[in-house]
Amino acid sequence: MDGEKLKVIICSGTACFVMGGSELLLLEDELPEAWRGRVSVEAAPCLGSCKDRSCGRAPFVKVGVEDLAGATMPALLALIGRKLGETLGG
Amino acid sequence: MSGPTFVELGHYQVRKRGQGADGDAFLSRKASDGRIISALSDGLGSGVKAGVLATLTASMAVKFVSEDIPIRRAAGIIMKTLPVCSERRISYATFTIVDIDSQDTVKVVEYDNPSYILIRERTQVEPIKGEIRVTRAGRGRASAARGAVGREAIMRYSEFQARPGDRLVFFSDGVTQAGMGTRAHPLGWGAPAVQAYALGLVEEKPDISARELARRMVQEAEAVDAYAPKDDISCAVVYFRRPRRLLVMTGPSIDPSRDAEMAAIFDRYEGRKLLCGGTTAAIVARELGRTVTIVLERVARDVPPASTMEGADLVTEGIITLGKAAELLERGESAVRAERGPAARAAELFLDSDHIEFVVGTKINEAHQDPSMPVELEIRRNIVKRVAATLRETYLKEVELRFI
Repeated sequence: MDGEKLKVIICSGTACFVMGGSELLLLEDELPEAWRGRVSVEAAPCLGSCKDRSCGRAPFVKVGVEDLAGATMPALLALIGRKLGETLGG
Repeated sequence: MSGPTFVELGHYQVRKRGQGADGDAFLSRKASDGRIISALSDGLGSGVKAGVLATLTASMAVKFVSEDIPIRRAAGIIMKTLPVCSERRISYATFTIVDIDSQDTVKVVEYDNPSYILIRERTQVEPIKGEIRVTRAGRGRASAARGAVGREAIMRYSEFQARPGDRLVFFSDGVTQAGMGTRAHPLGWGAPAVQAYALGLVEEKPDISARELARRMVQEAEAVDAYAPKDDISCAVVYFRRPRRLLVMTGPSIDPSRDAEMAAIFDRYEGRKLLCGGTTAAIVARELGRTVTIVLERVARDVPPASTMEGADLVTEGIITLGKAAELLERGESAVRAERGPAARAAELFLDSDHIEFVVGTKINEAHQDPSMPVELEIRRNIVKRVAATLRETYLKEVELRFI
């Protein structure tokens, strides 16, 4: 059900895209079989975090309520895993 | 805008099979007084030699007429300058010159090209054509041997007032003679069938653009020629139409208090709308209470994905997409058509519009200036200026730039 899904929003703004966000947009293909259906992958035109230095560096991804800065595919997958463990008690 | 309508020019051509160069030439130019002059020339034979003569002829025509030499006189000078084939006693190049002034008065001089087609209200109308006779001095040994002192060449001149919706279609004989010698068309496709085909296309798609009409005409002639053209095939179309407007909004204003103004410009604009930039889209969406949805299908590695928003025809990322669109536009229409993705879609929108208004925010995103960026990002207004220059100069679009 949608309500239980973990929402992942990948920023596809200019800065994020060139700093590695282009790879992150392919997250759907990288998700382990067991996680599919439990995660919804979306993109945003710009999360706005690049304009605030205190947020860290691009690329940015929002996983649930948490912001991930300087995201890489392994770091993103690790965070999703942790969140799934937390929220779904897996 | 030059006249009561926007004048769209379209052209398409294919070369004779096996040739490495085009033997027909099409040139167009906007004179300083707003007149639009174009010329289609077909060089005798095909390949490089034909191409040189056709280009020479078309260049002379466009240059003379845009420099205010009256079209009839310009045509006379060209006729006297053009070499005549000593064997076949015919000119090395034929031409059609079209001069459109700022009030949409059209003057046409034709020499040996098939007669143009003027389509008005889905029917063909035929303006009265007068003759211009030019006597050329006989030259060379061949003419001396035949005792020729001069030879008269006849050009046809016509003038008409274009009305909104009119289309002027002109082409080389590669179109009318396509398929000649085949069982289906022993004498070639023929003028009546070509006219009927052009009318059919307009009937089928009343808002067909000049460039699409020109392309479809040439492609059909190529098909009649069994996809192995026996001559260069080219077609040009002038479409007098009510201008199609496009708003391109890119970049946030340096002054955030103008966000509402930006959104209002976007909301009230009558025409198509393109938003280029994540922040720009976010501002407009927030101000108008709309949502931006990104489509994560077929994500390209070089350009960020496009999004959709109510009221916008296309929403894209800013700098990278505009840069790529600029590159595609500079490479030409065929490059735009060959690509898919957000940049090509933006370029298509530009090509399918006549009057393009850019509203450019001048705020610089500091994150873009980070020296650790793997690529160097251009400053927005430079890219916009580059796109605007190409649209104006190469595609004869009306472009307005506004910085906020």
